[in-house]
Amino acid sequence: MATGFFTDTTICIGCKACEVACKQWNQLPGDGYAFTGNSYDNTVALGATTWRHVAFVEQMAPPEEPVGTSRWLMMSDVCKHCTNAGCLEACPTGAIVRNEFDDVFIQPDICNGCGYCVPSCPFGVVDLIGHADYPATRSFESDGRSTDDALQKHGGIAGKCTLCYDRQKDGLVPACAKACPTESIHFGDVDELKDQARQRVATLRASGVDAYLYGVDEDTSVGDLNAFFLLTDAPGKYNLPERPVLPSTHQRAGYTSAAIAAAALTLVGFALFRATK
Amino acid sequence: MSVDRDAARVPIAPMHDAGVIDAARREMRDLAPDNARFGVAGVGLPPRDATTYYEQPLLKKPHWEWEVIVYLFLGGIMGGSGILTALADEHGEDAELGRNARYVAFALASTCPVVLIKHLGRPERFLNMLRIVKFKSVMSMGVWGLIAFSLPATAGATAQAARDGLLPKQLRFLRFVGPRAITNPLSAILGAFIAGYTGVLLSATAIPVWAKGKRHIPAMSACSGIAGACALNALLLEIGGNPNPVTRRRLERLELVASLAEAAVILDFRRHAGTIGDPFFVSKHGRKMEIATLLGGIVVPSLLGLLPFHAKWKTSLGSTLTLVGGYVLRETLIEAGKDSADDPRAASRQPE
Ligand code: SF4
Ligand code: SF4
Ligand code: SF4
Repeated sequence: MATGFFTDTTICIGCKACEVACKQWNQLPGDGYAFTGNSYDNTVALGATTWRHVAFVEQMAPPEEPVGTSRWLMMSDVCKHCTNAGCLEACPTGAIVRNEFDDVFIQPDICNGCGYCVPSCPFGVVDLIGHADYPATRSFESDGRSTDDALQKHGGIAGKCTLCYDRQKDGLVPACAKACPTESIHFGDVDELKDQARQRVATLRASGVDAYLYGVDEDTSVGDLNAFFLLTDAPGKYNLPERPVLPSTHQRAGYTSAAIAAAALTLVGFALFRATK
Repeated sequence: MSVDRDAARVPIAPMHDAGVIDAARREMRDLAPDNARFGVAGVGLPPRDATTYYEQPLLKKPHWEWEVIVYLFLGGIMGGSGILTALADEHGEDAELGRNARYVAFALASTCPVVLIKHLGRPERFLNMLRIVKFKSVMSMGVWGLIAFSLPATAGATAQAARDGLLPKQLRFLRFVGPRAITNPLSAILGAFIAGYTGVLLSATAIPVWAKGKRHIPAMSACSGIAGACALNALLLEIGGNPNPVTRRRLERLELVASLAEAAVILDFRRHAGTIGDPFFVSKHGRKMEIATLLGGIVVPSLLGLLPFHAKWKTSLGSTLTLVGGYVLRETLIEAGKDSADDPRAASRQPE
């Protein structure tokens, strides 16, 4: 069974309980006390130790327009646990795996901090945890091992949402979904979630809301997302890519053009080294 | 104790009343007319039709510093030197070149893992790279390519050292471990892979300027690696004394062709990439790349090569400039990638 999230942004109230629950359960360090002025978003972005991020988009109507045309969009963002995951494909150590729940999981004791997954995620999700950001008490319950040594002494390792792998193994719902007071975050079997989401879109459309699903029935090289979203505006407004591309699709062209260039120059070299006196 | 409920009641403005809100909005606009387009509060919110999320980056920047730049640079020269071992006419004029190129390939194949380990933080971490062979991961392919390359490079250099009498008498038999007929072509094939893959490593990511250069960056890496190898080997021959003039001319000509090809690829990338290429071309890194790589690393050495006389300073200067240009090219690629990750517009519709 593939598990995932259906995050319905139309009922998110921006309480950030999901962010807090995630930090608490996963023992992630705080993000400091920055004040951005970007509506209520002081978290700014997903990061190595910030695995839920609530985006706030204020769309205030100018005074000439009638009341009721302003909108305040809120969306709890998370790792998408892609069907074709750029991070997983790029990882040279095999640290990033697809676990038994079909979710994309970074094994902390395998990751060597090479950082190649970071630019390989088309959604800008995964990042490196610097050793300094991490409390000494952090342990990775999910695989029964502590990687304090790796974290504390030498550079970082990659960090992103585990889809609460440890909680799932114990039959629990991920912390964010459990904490969400509005059920904006649904957790469950991806196929069931998709049915539920399609119905929700139909209901919203019937009442005149321009809703659609992001990450369902996608024709991109990334494919569908195990953690998908119901949105009411263009993806870019929530800082999601309009068209994500799976980085490994560039490999064929890259290897081919490198081979052509190297072979051509070698042949030229061969001719030169034979002909030149 | 009873509470005087009426006294405690606070008058609440009927905020659901459209008239009150409209009045407040008009008042706001009068107070801060410049900010009216930002909406009610006029506190600098982006306009309603903003296409990005507060101009925040959509992608994460690669955390690659000088170690990776040095690795990409040395990898190119190492691969190019592997190719040179196969090109050199060992039984004719180029005996010296073949010998040098084998030592260079070995020295760099030994240096690169050290640079990678520096990047990872500690030696054991490099071992994690060797857990698996993963064709989908360019980095995994690169690490295995490096290890594969180091085999013929080490065998070739060991045999060379034995032939050169650099090994103690008891080890002279090692001259048989690396027959040139085998190590040279292997070094060339694996070297070509290494020189080119350093470009694929970048272009097979989500970073817009790198992904846009999926054909150009690997080709320019291969060209620059081969040009750099010619430059370094020409420099070493020059330092080593009186190089064979035929070998010198051969190296100069191959370097010229490789450099011109590199320049052509860079210029074509500029045309192809459009605004997505701006972090690479139109930026302070871009300026540096134009001066150090295109002008200093390609145009000047090429012109020097055309001068109708030979002088030690000419070869040394041209080679050094080419090497500096190659380093700056890698540095610009990495820095441009970081800037490109910060552009949410380029990252939204990602290059196919
Ligand atoms: S969103 Fe990024 S980090 Fe998450 S699975 Fe997809 S590629 Fe990996
Ligand atoms: S940083 Fe870790 S998880 Fe990311 S690609 Fe490297 S080894 Fe894999
Ligand atoms: S807990 Fe639920 S309602 Fe609150 S911010 Fe997160 S997704 Fe929105």
